[in-house]
Amino acid sequence: MKWLKFAIANVLRNRRRSLVTILIAAVGTAGVLVGGGFALFTYESLAEMAARDSGHLILAQRDYFARDEDTPMQHGLENYAALREKLEQDERVRMALPRVQFSGLISNGDKSAIFVAAGIDPEGEFSVKGPAMTVVSGSLLSSKPTADGAPEVVIGAELAKQMKAEPGSGLTLLSTTTSGSLNALDVRVRGIVSVGVPEIDKRPVYVTLSTAQHLLLTDKASTLSVYLRDTAQTEAMRGVVAALFPDHAMQTWRDQAYFYEAVRGLYNRIFGLLGLVIVIMVLFAVSNTLAMAVVERTREIGTLRALGTLPAQIVRIFALEGLVLGIAGVVGGMLAAAGISLLLLFFNIQMPPPPGRSVGYPLQVNLSFDLYALTFLSVIALSVAAAWLVSRKAAAKPIVEALGHV
Amino acid sequence: MTPGTSRFAPVIHVDNVSKSYRMGENSVAALREVTLSIEAGEFAALTGPSGSGKSTLLNLCGLVDQPDAGSISIDRQATAQLSQQDLTLIRREKIGFVFQGFNLVPVMTAFENVEYPLFLAGAGNSAATTAERRERVRDMLARVGLTEHGQRRPDELSGGQRQRVAIARALVKRPRLVIADEPTANLDSATATQIIDLMHELGRANGTTFVIATHDARVTSRCDRAIVLTDGVLQ
Repeated sequence: MKWLKFAIANVLRNRRRSLVTILIAAVGTAGVLVGGGFALFTYESLAEMAARDSGHLILAQRDYFARDEDTPMQHGLENYAALREKLEQDERVRMALPRVQFSGLISNGDKSAIFVAAGIDPEGEFSVKGPAMTVVSGSLLSSKPTADGAPEVVIGAELAKQMKAEPGSGLTLLSTTTSGSLNALDVRVRGIVSVGVPEIDKRPVYVTLSTAQHLLLTDKASTLSVYLRDTAQTEAMRGVVAALFPDHAMQTWRDQAYFYEAVRGLYNRIFGLLGLVIVIMVLFAVSNTLAMAVVERTREIGTLRALGTLPAQIVRIFALEGLVLGIAGVVGGMLAAAGISLLLLFFNIQMPPPPGRSVGYPLQVNLSFDLYALTFLSVIALSVAAAWLVSRKAAAKPIVEALGHV
Repeated sequence: MTPGTSRFAPVIHVDNVSKSYRMGENSVAALREVTLSIEAGEFAALTGPSGSGKSTLLNLCGLVDQPDAGSISIDRQATAQLSQQDLTLIRREKIGFVFQGFNLVPVMTAFENVEYPLFLAGAGNSAATTAERRERVRDMLARVGLTEHGQRRPDELSGGQRQRVAIARALVKRPRLVIADEPTANLDSATATQIIDLMHELGRANGTTFVIATHDARVTSRCDRAIVLTDGVLQ
């Protein structure tokens, strides 16, 4: 306790210099925490988006992911209804939604375009999509048959533009059936949606599961998307579901989230490098301050050595000063970063749309215990290391020389 | 250590010691084959003109420097083969220092400056030793007449008061030997006399040996013995 008091008194000796050092450490810490928190927020948002899109777990027939199909639905799930029922008994599972994936040509009579369609359970599907999909006009699908029995579709905004379609327009879907022949189906546009990525909005068509099965002449589903109540349980549930259905193939949302993995890889490098640069600058600031203190106090070091202080104890005095500077800086920085995170929750600041997207997103910075703990420990460890580096020579200097220092 | 056995044994014995310094290309001899014994309880003045080797001899006696040749023993313990660590521990236990420029630690109060050597010595300090330590510091401050000034920082004290704190710091651990390098050079003559009298009085009370390097004839006249160095040779 006495040594610590001495260290604090020494830090306060040159208040202005110590304050500047602490500020540098605080700004650096805040920079690392805000940058890191933003990256974590981005990962979390992208993870949520990916999981909303694909489901946390994707259950399929054994060969579905490994081999291409010879004809549509060759590797489809026949028993999806039974699987669904069994999965939804687990209370960790929010929903298990069958999907039929298919593609083909969509036509308005005058021109055609390629579409990528999903036959879905509309009530479940649109509720899990949540904010990832917005309705531009019209309304979403319903599983109830329409009054005149005509099948309905919901299509992407860019595709609607190409087809000059609006809610109520009639279009024709053309696709290959399970037997390899072509089949066509007249449909009516019920709604137009957007996911905020123009490239993706050029292709999608949503129909009900039964419409899709009708078009493809099948009673199978391509996959069963399992939605969990908590994304963090993905890995645990993967094991549970794999044990339950050993004859089936399975992927998690991460296996399908190429964009998530790409952004994560890029951001980890960018923010990692930025963090490293900041931490090195903090190291230099603390080293510089303590190096000045060591030179100024050379005579005092000589006096303390003459009085019987061991060189290791001299180094310890400076290491404690490094610790005091480091803690003051890192705590200041953590408070500032936490303040920024909280303020961003109250003030809605919009980020511009990322490349390839048409809508922005709110700027937020996550508060992560792990990130804060890691930053706290690194800054403190580096401050102490800096103190050790700059004081060990002076501590070992011959006493007569140190005492004669002016 | 009973007074009977230690009273007439030399506290410090300097045997045939030489020391030279390198000044650029040349080597300058500071001490030439000096042999000297100082008995327990002695109050010795080390005098001589500037450059005569006083400080060098004082540094060697204080174990803050090592000789080129010859040997130095403290309490009959030879120091030539000891490591820096061992020398530090001997200084911590047996040797007090008083400097010309006081050399107090500016961020510590007078009390804390005096407490520091005890604090170093009592590495494993329990509550009992903490209380005992405080008591000893208070007692020491009282004996140098600074009871009222314990909580002041060195820069709030006069030169004479600072040197009293330094003396208290040197004596608080009851060392065998106190090394004082020009302790009165930065003080006016009235204060200088008081300081020398104080050292003399406290040294006598504890049986502490003093070696005081000085130019000051008034200091020399108050010492038991004057050791005179000229050009690194004992007269």
